Amino acid sequence: MARAFKAGRKGITGHLEAAERDLLRNLFADIVELLEPNVPASEDPLAALIGVDMDVTVPDDPALRRLLPDVSREDAAMSLEFRQLTERSLRESKIGALKAAALGLEADKLVLTDDQARQWSTALNDVRLVLSERLKIRTEEDANRVHRMQDWSQADDVESYLALVYNFVSWLQESLVQALLQGLQDRR
Amino acid sequence: MPETTRETGTDQRSLPDTPWVLIVWNDPVNLMSYVSYVFQSYFGYSEAKAEQLMMQVHSEGKSAVTAGSKEKMEVDAVAMHGFGLWATVQKDNRG
Repeated sequence: MARAFKAGRKGITGHLEAAERDLLRNLFADIVELLEPNVPASEDPLAALIGVDMDVTVPDDPALRRLLPDVSREDAAMSLEFRQLTERSLRESKIGALKAAALGLEADKLVLTDDQARQWSTALNDVRLVLSERLKIRTEEDANRVHRMQDWSQADDVESYLALVYNFVSWLQESLVQALLQGLQDRR
Repeated sequence: MPETTRETGTDQRSLPDTPWVLIVWNDPVNLMSYVSYVFQSYFGYSEAKAEQLMMQVHSEGKSAVTAGSKEKMEVDAVAMHGFGLWATVQKDNRG
């Protein structure tokens, strides 16, 4: 079984079984694939260099919209302009964190620096956001319904399997965040 | 003189910039501890202030977590989106 992350002198340490590593590796890879832009950056080399993408549109996939949300509720033009200027680099930083976390899974021991732990926390959070969209978690009640699913022997369909995966990733992230908060407190 | 009156009346440069605010919205997914961690680590808020803002997001559905120029708020919004929080930028209409 996985053990909760812990803050210590060497950094934040954790322990995951081989099957849990495989599961996380697949989840991280799925989200990377979701985030990879399907159209190349504008041919304009300066635009590509600074990450501007004038061809960007609001994603159709609600999970992707959750990862790359609008910046204004009322002003669609402002949201589009923000997307043109920032979406490509936001995708890249999310992909960077997911790949860094996946790389961390290859080490025998899970020992994270603060930066690595922060990347892990955003990677785990992005996994949870995508799973929550697939599980249609819209309200606190939905979240509780999913949370009640804890028994792997009852996972007999895709939804209950996804719910168990979501609960595992949530538990892992909670323990990582507690370790990160501990680290902030120790430095005060 | 009429010119002078008109000039002072339309001189926008002497007015302070209209402040913009960054709103963070509640959702049933982001962990309360994580939201507090983001507020502490990114904005440098104390644990007490971060917890208070997080509880406001949780119980009232949203909270204006910082204010400033539109450009600065957009930089903060990208950072929040990087953390997976849903943040929007709007003109401060709290008066």
